[in-house]
Amino acid sequence: MSAPVQVHFELEDLLVEAPEGTSLQAIVEASGADVTFGCRNGSCGTCRIRVLRGLEHCSEAGPEERDFLAALGAPPDHRLACQVRLLGDVDIAYLGPP
Amino acid sequence: MSTLESLLKEKVLLLDGGMGTQIFARKPTVDDFGGPALEGCMELLNERRPEWIRDIHASYFAAGSDAVETNTFGCNEVVLGEFGLAHRVEELNALAVALAREAAADFAGPRFVIGSVGPGTKLVTLGHVSPAVLYASYLAQMRGLVRAGADAILIETCQDLGQIKAAVRAARAAMAELQRRVPLWVQATVEATGTLLLGSDIAAVLTTLEPLGVDLLGLNCATGPDEMHAHLAHLAAASPFPISCLPNAGLPLNEGGRTVYPLGPDAFAEKVLASAKEFHLNVVGGCCGTTPEHIRALKQRLGSLAPVHRTPAAERSVASLYQSVPLRQEPRPLIVGERTNANGSRLFRDLLAQEDFDAMVGVAKEQQREGAHLLDVCVAFVGRDEVRDMEAFLKKAVTQVTLPLMIDSTELPVIEKALQTAPGKCLVNSINLEDGEARARAVLALCREYGAGVVALTIDEEGMAKTVERKLAVARRLVDLAVNQAGLDPGDLILDPLTFTLGSGEEGFRRSAVATLEAIQAIKERWPGVLTLLGVSNVSFGLKPAARHPLNSLMLYHAVKAGLDLAIFNASKVMPVAGIPEAERRALEDLIFDRRAEGYDPLKVVLSLYEGATLAARKGSRAGLGIGERLRLDIVEGDKRTIVADVEEARATIPPLDIINLHLLEGMRVVGERFGAGEMQLPFVLESAEAMKAAIAHLEPHMPREGGKSKGRLLLATVKGDVHDIGKNLVDIILSNNGYEVRNLGIKQPVEAILKALEEWPADAIGLSGLLVKSTVIMKENLEYMASLGLQVPVILGGAALTRNFVEQDCQAVYSGPVLYAADAFEGLRHMEALASGAPPVSAPRAAEPAIRVLRRGEGRVALDGRDRSSWIQDSGPPPEPPFWGAVERADPLQDIYAFLDEFVVIRNRWSFTQGKLPDEAFRDLLEQKAEPLLAAWKARLLAEPLLQPRARYGYFPVRAEGDRLKVFDPERRTQLSEWRFPRQAGGRRLCIADFFTPEPGAFDLLALQVVTMGQGAAEHAARLYAENRYADYFYFHGLATELTEAYAELLHARIRQELGLQSRDAADLRQLFNQGYQGSRYSFGYPACPDLEGNGPLLELLDAQNLGIALTEGFQMTPEYTTCALVAWHPQARYFSV
Repeated sequence: MSAPVQVHFELEDLLVEAPEGTSLQAIVEASGADVTFGCRNGSCGTCRIRVLRGLEHCSEAGPEERDFLAALGAPPDHRLACQVRLLGDVDIAYLGPP
Repeated sequence: MSTLESLLKEKVLLLDGGMGTQIFARKPTVDDFGGPALEGCMELLNERRPEWIRDIHASYFAAGSDAVETNTFGCNEVVLGEFGLAHRVEELNALAVALAREAAADFAGPRFVIGSVGPGTKLVTLGHVSPAVLYASYLAQMRGLVRAGADAILIETCQDLGQIKAAVRAARAAMAELQRRVPLWVQATVEATGTLLLGSDIAAVLTTLEPLGVDLLGLNCATGPDEMHAHLAHLAAASPFPISCLPNAGLPLNEGGRTVYPLGPDAFAEKVLASAKEFHLNVVGGCCGTTPEHIRALKQRLGSLAPVHRTPAAERSVASLYQSVPLRQEPRPLIVGERTNANGSRLFRDLLAQEDFDAMVGVAKEQQREGAHLLDVCVAFVGRDEVRDMEAFLKKAVTQVTLPLMIDSTELPVIEKALQTAPGKCLVNSINLEDGEARARAVLALCREYGAGVVALTIDEEGMAKTVERKLAVARRLVDLAVNQAGLDPGDLILDPLTFTLGSGEEGFRRSAVATLEAIQAIKERWPGVLTLLGVSNVSFGLKPAARHPLNSLMLYHAVKAGLDLAIFNASKVMPVAGIPEAERRALEDLIFDRRAEGYDPLKVVLSLYEGATLAARKGSRAGLGIGERLRLDIVEGDKRTIVADVEEARATIPPLDIINLHLLEGMRVVGERFGAGEMQLPFVLESAEAMKAAIAHLEPHMPREGGKSKGRLLLATVKGDVHDIGKNLVDIILSNNGYEVRNLGIKQPVEAILKALEEWPADAIGLSGLLVKSTVIMKENLEYMASLGLQVPVILGGAALTRNFVEQDCQAVYSGPVLYAADAFEGLRHMEALASGAPPVSAPRAAEPAIRVLRRGEGRVALDGRDRSSWIQDSGPPPEPPFWGAVERADPLQDIYAFLDEFVVIRNRWSFTQGKLPDEAFRDLLEQKAEPLLAAWKARLLAEPLLQPRARYGYFPVRAEGDRLKVFDPERRTQLSEWRFPRQAGGRRLCIADFFTPEPGAFDLLALQVVTMGQGAAEHAARLYAENRYADYFYFHGLATELTEAYAELLHARIRQELGLQSRDAADLRQLFNQGYQGSRYSFGYPACPDLEGNGPLLELLDAQNLGIALTEGFQMTPEYTTCALVAWHPQARYFSV
């Protein structure tokens, strides 16, 4: 049994604990965090987040998500929340308009 | 002095209203008719109560009618014969005309008398009356009307194409006889089902009547104005004739046994006027339930509305009783089935000899299933009566087969009998100049009279034309004869430059294929409107079957490249040319193109290649595979064409049920595995499903009566209030092609309807689907309800907003039967298989959803300010000035919308071309070779065919916020038009959409609204594709149409931002655009910031969206499908958030 991980949602200062390997989507839904989802399968971009801390603790991005973010010219700390599973503590900000 | 025709050019004409209703209002008694035997004979009232009739006409003229219809609806021999009055037909018609003329005389201005000709009481296409009797019946009526001076003949309330043609022919004959020509008008009655009583759709009606050159084609009766829109739209777009519309006063209601027509004069007139403007009508009026008041109201609104000139575009087509089929098919060629031909098919010939006409119709239906577009019908059999056989066969075939017909005969009486019996528009196969021009002229005359097209062979007095020059010379004569002299439309002339066999090796025929191919090309260049046809299988006559198939296929391939439009061949005996092994293909093509050389004769090579070869082994890379393996490959590779041939072959040795259970279902299982493993994408799965469906359809007639035992039954429905069904339809497709019986109840199904269906059709499981978040709640409620009834039937839930946890925990908790989560159709399939085998339900092996705990919630909580809005919001300054206030309408061209189409989402998301487990290389190839070209082809097709009709309404409104409410005012700013109450975040930034607008009392902010739709036709097209089992096309079309709707919303949103001067802040890159690289957010109801769909109501009302045919379901979703609407907030801080 592995140690729980903590997710901090910057915008609203919300701290949530969950077992290692939980999907970020499940954490958002269970805690009511302010992250909006669209297609939930990595091709619309509505759930884009910036990982402020703990990028290495996010599950590896699959080819779809990689392609999508690359086309945006997104920096490496951007991820699609619906594709992420947590392997350790992270600090994230839901990306709004610039 | 104005004639009817000249007046039609000046204004929209107003006819009268209902006659029958007016007569009944006078409460006619048995006495009025002249005795019980005559009761109900309305036409007799012309003689017995002329003052009634005259008064009725006068009341319509007084109300403003430009013309009235005579009281002669049933005034023909067949109808009057029922009253023993057949001998008085001409007399009564004349009397009716005189009465109307008398009434007209009392009114100023040009007033006209239209002779009304009704459909009678017997349907000729169903054999209730013979064509000859019907023709004679109408001839008498037409004589009466024309001789008495009617200004036009109106053949109305038509239900049967056969009857229309008989009446039109009778009218023409009477006019010729009496040397008086009057306009000939036709009106069909389209029932609420969308077709004529006998099943013809409006396209079939138009195609059938077009060559008859009537003077007007319109609609009357059965429904009110609203229900006629789609049909009028088709006529407006495609009919070369002026259009009339005489609706009933709405759809009749039954009130205590009485028929009541709901539309009053004003409502009726408004709707008819709207139709007149939208569809550019030329004549309007009313039918059942309408009165002089209705006509008066219509006259007031009509005024002197000028008719609008239309430029209709219609493709040359043929028609069966039921449907119209364009002669130009994409991809070419149009396939003419050749198996219903006693000369060409031993089976058909044998059935004819046995007089088993039902089985002969069965052959026709099989051709339909195999993908033929038209059927070539030939019953020539030496020693038999061809006329009698043609009539016997056609009488059964025309109502049972939906395909149009090609009448294959050289005998004039046979052709005439066929054209009399077939109600739609046929092709006559064929004419030629072998015996000079006389016979050809006679056939062409029949084609003109009955409205048929013709196939013409390049044969003249010297014999069959073998060289290109001779073929063109004969073609020129044929074109002149048919088009210039007989007056056929060039698109109704189909030239056949002849196909000779290459199998004999005779010198004179070695270059015959080359000549034919060149001739096709030349014909298409010289006479662009004319079509071409070949009887492809002739090219291989005399060769072994194993050689015939590939040779026919290659000949067809090259002919289509040369421009061939139609081909007669057996679809199951032609293979995709890519499947022909290289060596064989080379030899066969060398044979076709006569590439003989020193020591090389391709014919010899071909003969030796196929020496002793049987058909079974000829499958190229499949050489050596048994039939069972080949069937499985057909499924896995989605080979819809070859599977039918393979199934046919398998039937010889394997019982049909075994074919299905041992081989076809095995193929589907492999498909499921590969999909699950990420090796096969959904579009390919659908192609496999289509192949499966084609195979099953082919086996159906050969299955034992009780049918196979299905593996299980699933009752499927989309829950109440939800219209989304692509996922559910995919489940239907996958499960039914894997041996399960599926009953698909459709969308918006309340639980009561589902349970009632379950009672009538006991199933092994119920499948519920829904897209909306709200639907997940409804699913749980449905389960609670079912639990309260003590039900335990397994329930499978699917839908985008569902999570496994919600289903397996929350929903399972309220129900004692199994509740299963299906992430996709294949998981649903696995559940069904587990249920069928009695195993415990399969759920993904995982522990209960992990415990998630909130440790700390928002210490930096944002507070609400003095105006109850989030203090995170800063003052934005004054709003921009809009270019106009209120709503306007737009119809942007599809090409412009393409610029905003997110092709990544289309291909990867909507069309599910995901990488899965494919290596990068292979995935790149998949995209480049399949997905991207497919998208390009679909985009081109949507530009060419009007399947999508993008329309939009958008506009600007003054608004003010009050706490969570947003109030909308009319542009004069005096009255409040509407208001929304938006939800507010409980934590975080405490945002609410209302916060993006000024709350200052007395001040006004700016709100933009938009709604876009792809039109009703798009939704209908998707439904049609699905109903025709064209799964892959359905899937692609639906996905692309959905994404194009989004694109149109983007386009409009960009336009709004531009009009408000916010454009300068847009990111150049489109992808950034989709992720909010701009100012001015767009919010749609149902999404996280405003999840309550009820908000759609006020939005659509403010925009007058009903003008676009948009409505809300009781679940507040928009119809038709492919419609989306939104609010646009210009505030710089407006962004997406979740509540």
